[in-house]
Amino acid sequence: MKIFFKEIKEPIETAMIGNYAVAGGITQTDPDVICAFPITPQTQSVEGLSDVVNQGRLIAAFVNVESELAAISYATAACASGARTFTATASQGYLLMTEGLPMPVGWRLPLTMLISARAFNAPNLSIWNQWEYTQVNAELGWNIFVSENVQETYDAAILSTMIAEDTLFPTIFVHDGFIISHSVQKLTLIPDETVLRMTPKKPRHIIDTAKPGTWGGIVTPNYFMEGRANLENAKKPVLGQMQAAFDRFKSETGRQYNLIETYNLDNSSKTAFCTMGSMSGNIISWMTKNKDVGLIKLRAYRPFPVEELRKIVEEHNIEKLILLEKSDALNGLLPPFAMSIASALYPLGTIFRSFIVGLGGRDVTREEFTVTKKKMELVNDMKGPLYSYLGVRETKQKIEGVDQ
Amino acid sequence: MLTKEELQNTLKDNCINLRFHARGGQGGVTASNLCVEAFHGFGVCQPKFGAERMGSPTESYVRLSLNDDLVRNNEQVYAPHVVSVLDPSLLGEIDVAAGLAPGGWLIVNTTIDQVSLQEVIGRNDINIATIDALNIAMEILGRNITNTIILGAILRVMPMFTVDALKDAVMARFKGSLAGKNIEAIKRAYDDTCIYETLDAPKLDFSKDTKIPWQQISLGLPGYKELDKAGVWYCDETVIEMGSKLVNTGSWGEWDMIWDKETCTDCAQCWFICPDFAILREKNDDGLWHMVGIDQGHCKSCQNCLETCPVKAITKQLKQGPASCAAPQ
Ligand code: SF4
Ligand code: SF4
Repeated sequence: MKIFFKEIKEPIETAMIGNYAVAGGITQTDPDVICAFPITPQTQSVEGLSDVVNQGRLIAAFVNVESELAAISYATAACASGARTFTATASQGYLLMTEGLPMPVGWRLPLTMLISARAFNAPNLSIWNQWEYTQVNAELGWNIFVSENVQETYDAAILSTMIAEDTLFPTIFVHDGFIISHSVQKLTLIPDETVLRMTPKKPRHIIDTAKPGTWGGIVTPNYFMEGRANLENAKKPVLGQMQAAFDRFKSETGRQYNLIETYNLDNSSKTAFCTMGSMSGNIISWMTKNKDVGLIKLRAYRPFPVEELRKIVEEHNIEKLILLEKSDALNGLLPPFAMSIASALYPLGTIFRSFIVGLGGRDVTREEFTVTKKKMELVNDMKGPLYSYLGVRETKQKIEGVDQ
Repeated sequence: MLTKEELQNTLKDNCINLRFHARGGQGGVTASNLCVEAFHGFGVCQPKFGAERMGSPTESYVRLSLNDDLVRNNEQVYAPHVVSVLDPSLLGEIDVAAGLAPGGWLIVNTTIDQVSLQEVIGRNDINIATIDALNIAMEILGRNITNTIILGAILRVMPMFTVDALKDAVMARFKGSLAGKNIEAIKRAYDDTCIYETLDAPKLDFSKDTKIPWQQISLGLPGYKELDKAGVWYCDETVIEMGSKLVNTGSWGEWDMIWDKETCTDCAQCWFICPDFAILREKNDDGLWHMVGIDQGHCKSCQNCLETCPVKAITKQLKQGPASCAAPQ
């Protein structure tokens, strides 16, 4: 974290854990208020920020609160009053925030939040990685985008500020808990000057005595629905604004991001994996020796890049998708990531199967990729179950769905 | 042994995987970080994911390559090419050679000779190097911190980067004389490492994947059809091994707690405060509970009992032997 105690004058290559990279990136965007309740595996991101504030490197209000519900409430109010505001959470903390999550969307506040993805506690407590952010709250209207590695999560800390303030919607950026939050990877830091140039503090609507108004007051049924439709309408340009932020980021740093990124799609099997986050890296490594399958990696999760995904699948004639997701849905419908993909690709009729992997921090390795690819070779329609758990013990001696 | 050039060549389309065994507080993670920082190429380092506690056995992993795509893998390391053990007391507690690729290197901070070590490890398809890092640490650093020293030993058998590159990484991380001393210690370790190449050991093949398929699934533990109510674990050890009895917290600490029976008034305050139920008590004929001692197998020397005892019936003594290096950094 020390590297962020001083001004960063030129691009520096260094190595650090994902959480500190986020703390550093946020520091460079010069936030005014930081308010978060610590929870594993997010903790060091806030710890790092308390450090830079304590060092006098960052002039900001670092506010300790008693819970995540307090954190989101405080952060929302701070952001409404005009402060650039950051918060962070994971798992149960995200659940505890739920009551406060719709309002920053309604008020169009450019709040930014890190989620260091971690399982919800049931049936046991787990501090390890899972895509909890897909399982709840995804339809409240926050922007959500996902990073694969430490460089990406550092960049995302800066990009989230750009995206939140360009779209005037609160923005969550996600990295996989422990896998990225606690791994040391090399990354290149962006000079302070460049970050500030990318994230100018623009005037926006704020709570202001010079312009009195009611924020979030009660309305009768003859107003409420227009408010909702207004929000829906305001979300329409968001993906375009996100991509514009990615492009601006590229022109300043040379690093190109897209709503969806693709690898080796013009392959012989017309099949591609489709996933998000750190697992994409595992697949890319595995693909160095398995060249007959491609990868679609989603960066933007909400709003969901429907048109972009359709275009990619059509242009590359992808016939089958292997969905790998670290989340499940216990009531017989598709798990959340698959649900999104299925809705988006419904008109195309693309064949897919969803595999639930890596829950509660279980490692996802080359075996999962090899097996799912093999399984997919035999799938030629959308009949039968569309999802299954993979990498789970059925009995002491048997892995479900795998012939050993 | 591979030359620096041979290794660089191999790393163009292969990965080298390292694993460090240490105890919480000994800086195993720092050692792995330094590898990533010193390596000219792509590298990542992960701890074994979970909560690390002072003195408890820890693992951390490093993956280095000149191919960016190979290092993008976020799996934990299952089949390391080099395993380093910072604390010899771990040899009795952990299977340190688990998964070590045939022809790979096991590097141990110890004064035990390699032949005896090989007997303890029970594998003749790996090579062994030893270094008396404790001695070097005490002499040069003045304290028992061996995490940088072990790197000198690794470089001797696996020239992933030069000692000079490591020097730069150390200088960037430590300040002033501490950096200088660490560098001196690393150089000493490089020279003093004892190398034992096993005759029968095959040549290390970086392109071969020696991970046991599906080992991340931990077959042998109950499957989902064998669990009763998923989240409810009944205290039936025939189903799931459980309880703090399984965790050897006694090896985590730095101190032995000494209890003086004569002074003790049986007030039970230590029994209430001990987080690991390490205060042993028995019911006597008089129908009352009496303290009978401290369970050294589970006392992690948190010293709560010592602080709390109103009559100072508990004192402490620095542990003798290897586990005593679990001193906080
Ligand atoms: S030091 Fe005392 S309180 Fe702490 S674990 Fe040991 S016996 Fe228990
Ligand atoms: S606190 Fe001291 S006096 Fe009381 S039972 Fe423990 S050792 Fe004995």
